[in-house]
Amino acid sequence: MSMWGYVILAYGIVWGAILLYVVSLKRRYRAAENELQRLSDAKES
Amino acid sequence: MPQVTGKKRKGILGAATLVFIIAGLYWGLVKAPPDAYQGDSQRIMYLHIPSILIAYLSFFLVFVGSCLYLWKREKRDDNLAYGAAEIGVLFTALTIVEGSIWGRPTWGVWWTWDARLTLTAILLLIFIGYLMLRALVEDESRAASSAAILGIIGFLDIPLIHMSVYWWRTLHQPPSILRPDKVPWENIHPELLTALAINFVAFVLLYFYMLSLRLRLGEMHEEIKARRMR
Amino acid sequence: MKLLRQTLLLLRKDLLLELRRHESLMTMFFFGAQLLFVFNFSFELTPARVSELAPGLLWLAFLFTGTLGLTQLFEGERGNHCLDALLMSPIDRGALFLAKTCFNIFLMGLVELVVMPLFWILFSLPSWQPLPALFLIVFLGNVGFCVLGTILAAVTLKARARELLLPLVLFPLMVPVILATIRCMEALLRFGELGDALPWLRLLIGFDVIFLTVGILIFDWVVDV
Repeated sequence: MSMWGYVILAYGIVWGAILLYVVSLKRRYRAAENELQRLSDAKES
Repeated sequence: MPQVTGKKRKGILGAATLVFIIAGLYWGLVKAPPDAYQGDSQRIMYLHIPSILIAYLSFFLVFVGSCLYLWKREKRDDNLAYGAAEIGVLFTALTIVEGSIWGRPTWGVWWTWDARLTLTAILLLIFIGYLMLRALVEDESRAASSAAILGIIGFLDIPLIHMSVYWWRTLHQPPSILRPDKVPWENIHPELLTALAINFVAFVLLYFYMLSLRLRLGEMHEEIKARRMR
Repeated sequence: MKLLRQTLLLLRKDLLLELRRHESLMTMFFFGAQLLFVFNFSFELTPARVSELAPGLLWLAFLFTGTLGLTQLFEGERGNHCLDALLMSPIDRGALFLAKTCFNIFLMGLVELVVMPLFWILFSLPSWQPLPALFLIVFLGNVGFCVLGTILAAVTLKARARELLLPLVLFPLMVPVILATIRCMEALLRFGELGDALPWLRLLIGFDVIFLTVGILIFDWVVDV
């Protein structure tokens, strides 16, 4: 593999993993938000 | 309306993070010249050094959060320790992967049992253990205080592990940025240093963005639980 | 003084229980002896090489037997709310920690007292002379292992799959003890004296002292919810 191959591999893995983590965090965030909304709706009705 | 300003602040933080990440990528991959000895593979260092610093910062925050939790028993502090540990594990793992990819063209091997690599791997194992402990204790407050104990012990153990692993063997190149005989900016090309600095800022911003998201998530879980109890 | 008296009291209770049932001691001993056989099958242990490998193999065997002991350490307190009762009694948590630690050190020491000579016999090591000094080093290793092990055994007490979790969290933290003990044993076996390994001995003692102190201080929080 050329030097650039290693560089691209490293950058790809790092930013890919970080992106994946942020996306999963966002998903968990949304799920929690919806759950909260649902709970407060249920209380009002 | 604290919620709105909080959201706004998060938006600004997110935007700034994105800007610095793009600038960091540009400087790291395009603008900075290749290293005289290591060539282009040295560009991996722009990720490697910020990652390990962020990882250390995380583990320090785990320690702080754990101490505060045991002292004051506030859920918030435990939340901080938990979030920091999670992100810390991510960055430690990334540090090892980057180091490994950098080591292949530079040293000719993916892995070598040198002191710093071993130390990082041990750190990763300690904090994976921390996360597993959290996952395996069902009772909430029990899990929090157990994890806090482990967080404190793990942190106190790090200097000892560091010492032992260094005595055991050292063949890592000496740190090129922090050298006692020279001021930092004399050792490396200014363009390289700028690239490193920008990437470092990008990582710090990213870290606080992730951490704030993670903390808010923890708070919301608490809220959900509290409402269900009612 | 009070701490010491309470510790001895608790230690006496554990020893008495062990004397009646000797579950831990027997399993630990036979496990250690079995490991010697496993080593024999896995490595070509010629007399020339055995001195080289002995420190690592022995300490590995002791780590595993010690872990076995640790997983059983709070077994007596788990059932019938015994731990709660113990915590309600006017006993210092530090004493509880010290008693449990000493108990496991004692078990490991007994096992080693038999397994080490057995190793010498089975693999016909040339010289018996370094054995007492080696035993001292191993004892210091035991202290480090059991001190941290007791804290973590208590921490993982309420976890699911705690027998599996304990070594997982314990071993990475044990790295200084593992390295220091093996280096000291190596020096003793090769040169008959510590020599260059003296810093390792200091590290080992330092580890023991630090975590003994931390354990006594922190154990209040470890057992309380």
